Amino acid sequence: MAKLILSPENQIQRLNIILNKVASLQELDKKLLTCSADSKSWSIIEVIAHLNIAYGPYHIKYDEEFPKMPDLKKERKTFQAKTWQKMIIEMQRPKGTKRKWKMKTLKRFEPLLDNENLEKKKIDQIFQQFFELHGHLKEAILKSRTKDISKIRINSGIGPIVKFYLPESFEFLLCHLERHMVQIDEVLKKSDFSLIPRTITFTIS
Amino acid sequence: MDNEEFYHLKTFFFNLDLTKEEEEHFYSLWTIKTFNQYDLITEAGSTERFFYVVLEGVQALYVLNEKGEKVILGFSYSGSPSGVFDSFIQQKPSQTFIEALKPSKLFSISRSDYDTLFDDFPNFYKWGNEFFQQVLFGRLEREVELLTLTADQRYKSFMQRCPDELKVIPQKYLASYLNMKPETFSRLRKSILY
Repeated sequence: MAKLILSPENQIQRLNIILNKVASLQELDKKLLTCSADSKSWSIIEVIAHLNIAYGPYHIKYDEEFPKMPDLKKERKTFQAKTWQKMIIEMQRPKGTKRKWKMKTLKRFEPLLDNENLEKKKIDQIFQQFFELHGHLKEAILKSRTKDISKIRINSGIGPIVKFYLPESFEFLLCHLERHMVQIDEVLKKSDFSLIPRTITFTIS
Repeated sequence: MDNEEFYHLKTFFFNLDLTKEEEEHFYSLWTIKTFNQYDLITEAGSTERFFYVVLEGVQALYVLNEKGEKVILGFSYSGSPSGVFDSFIQQKPSQTFIEALKPSKLFSISRSDYDTLFDDFPNFYKWGNEFFQQVLFGRLEREVELLTLTADQRYKSFMQRCPDELKVIPQKYLASYLNMKPETFSRLRKSILY
């Protein structure tokens, strides 16, 4: 199996590209941000809100773990992802413009937004939160360049079944972001002809 | 900014003929930024906000290849310009990183202030013309060297012209700049006198 070599510079470059893209999405009309291609799909703003929720567990972990990591006196080397972690990362990574492994989102990561009645103020808040949280991610990647990251592993967002070394967690988050950027592109592509407003439906089981 | 720092900036813009008043205004447009070793001065994917003149330290300009490895395009060092110039001028995201290889101190000027230099000081066009010529000739010379010289010749040519402060940076950066493996660079360093 080919190695997955992770470098913080590559991750920073990709994160910057995503931040630029989301900044351009913020300019879109409210109608476009709150509409989705079909009743089962998320709108763009729901995707952004989901990304904010998904970063939550990592935000806490990074704040907890960074103070424990010793400083490096020399330049950090690249990091090779471990086999199991690599597999989890690759399942997230989009292949070009395709999301290869479709997966069901866990309930706790679902955005609960009422697209039809979403106010501009709320939309702005979601974007602002995205930039704050992913600014935090960028700081974490930058900080990791001068830290000994070889000792500490953190639980992934889905729990201890997957544990990541820091560079693996960054890569997982980036692939997750890139995956959802593909999803947003799909929404935008379809937006020319078939956007419909979505409302949240509740079922009693 | 003290007198010595002023002097460095004045040396870089050697052909500007300014009155005392103009000089004060000119210097007021610049601020000094300091960076620790390994700090990223400019990140690929972000837009370059400043044009720099290096006061202290060495910086590497690089892009990442498909494997994520750093491919060194050039260096900046005391007295030289720095920054990702295409991104600075076009105000588009950069493809290039700039990293401080040594603790660094740089004069910086924003894009809007840089533009006012041309409006406020007609001499600046002359400086601009010479600066862009130097950049172009430098890039052409490097291209010819990369395409025509052997590794031994590239090593020798580079070591003869490069300033001492560049000779002490990690070998892998110099090797990448000369388009050779670090092992080749190390072998040449041991065997070739320049």
